[in-house]
Amino acid sequence: MKPSNAKIIKDGLWTNNPIFVQVLGICSTLAVTNNVRNTLIMIAGVTFATAFGSFTLSGIKGLLPRKVRMIIQVLVLSFYVILVDIVLRAYAPAISKQLGPYVGLIITNCILMGRAEAFAAANPPWASFIDGIANGLGYGVVLLAIAVVREFLGFGTLLGFRLAGDWFTPWTIMIMAPSAFFLVAMALWGSNSYNARAEARRKAAVAKAAPDRAAK
Amino acid sequence: MKKDSVSYVVAFTFLACAAFIVPLAIANEATKKRVESNRLFAAHSAALRAFGVSYGSPAEAESKYASLVSDLPDGKGFRAQIDGKAYIAVKKTGGGLWGSITMVVAADEKGERLQGIEILDQMETPGLGGRIDEDWFKKQFRGEKLGPEGLTIDTAGSGTGDGDPDNGRVDAVTGASLTSGFVQAIVNAAVKDIRATGGPK
Repeated sequence: MKPSNAKIIKDGLWTNNPIFVQVLGICSTLAVTNNVRNTLIMIAGVTFATAFGSFTLSGIKGLLPRKVRMIIQVLVLSFYVILVDIVLRAYAPAISKQLGPYVGLIITNCILMGRAEAFAAANPPWASFIDGIANGLGYGVVLLAIAVVREFLGFGTLLGFRLAGDWFTPWTIMIMAPSAFFLVAMALWGSNSYNARAEARRKAAVAKAAPDRAAK
Repeated sequence: MKKDSVSYVVAFTFLACAAFIVPLAIANEATKKRVESNRLFAAHSAALRAFGVSYGSPAEAESKYASLVSDLPDGKGFRAQIDGKAYIAVKKTGGGLWGSITMVVAADEKGERLQGIEILDQMETPGLGGRIDEDWFKKQFRGEKLGPEGLTIDTAGSGTGDGDPDNGRVDAVTGASLTSGFVQAIVNAAVKDIRATGGPK
């Protein structure tokens, strides 16, 4: 069955969110989320590489020999990642320097390989492209939320603009990697308990609609 | 040809690698000059800022660099002639908290007063040690008098910047005594180099 575009987008953003449900790409949340600007660039890089990587892999899946499937996946995905790296180095040297090795490490972001294997290998190119965008954005929304909290509490700024006054004592822990663990865990907790409650409500509604079936 | 035959796999892999790597090589080659000029601009503009020369655009920075500054013969630093006075800046790398710190340190030729410092590379904790790259911290070094051992970065200071250029001390970054100590070591080592390069001959 071919999934509709709307379903693909909803899956990437919520139902099958790469961070909440697939628990992929957690590593990069530690590295770049203490600063909103770097986070935005990371999101753009991951979304670009996932979308175009999935698109390309889906396009050539008919020609792909099984034995070298993974090698070719890595080749294609790293092609796009290195492209991002080259562009940043040439046109945004300051950002490239700040992100340092993290741009190259996009290739190790599990979302890229995860979507190539789980979606692009079985779906047409255009749907794979949309899936890549949706998953990149689903990842991005969570990352951005964490970055906003971390940058505000850690520096008292957002995107470099000072929001808190002089009275504000920055929470140094928010700048360090451990706080990303706490925040990701809290976000996972929140989304899981929301989903569990929604599921319980759905079951209750079903039981109400057909009481004798539920009783049996 | 069968998709799982050895010859198909080898031919496919070869062609796929070529198809993806050749464009990357071309892109890399095409941007090489730009990347190199970015790198040079980073070094040149840092030298200008350390010498206390202001500039507006990158082009202006390069032209000021060309007219005022020359490289030291061994590539370790820069020599500048500003308003008739000779200055020397050296590039110095030293240990930091998480990785090494690279700075440009400028002083007059005899190493009596600092002209300024600039951070080229650092991996200190953002928000703590990373604040050595903030202007208030770097500004304290401008025109600071140097003792026989250089200067002291004082952890007992107010942490907001020391305005007196004659006391041979500047304020450390609050909460970053280790990083401040590393910066002090680098600056003083650089001062030694400047004195060795430009001192009495």
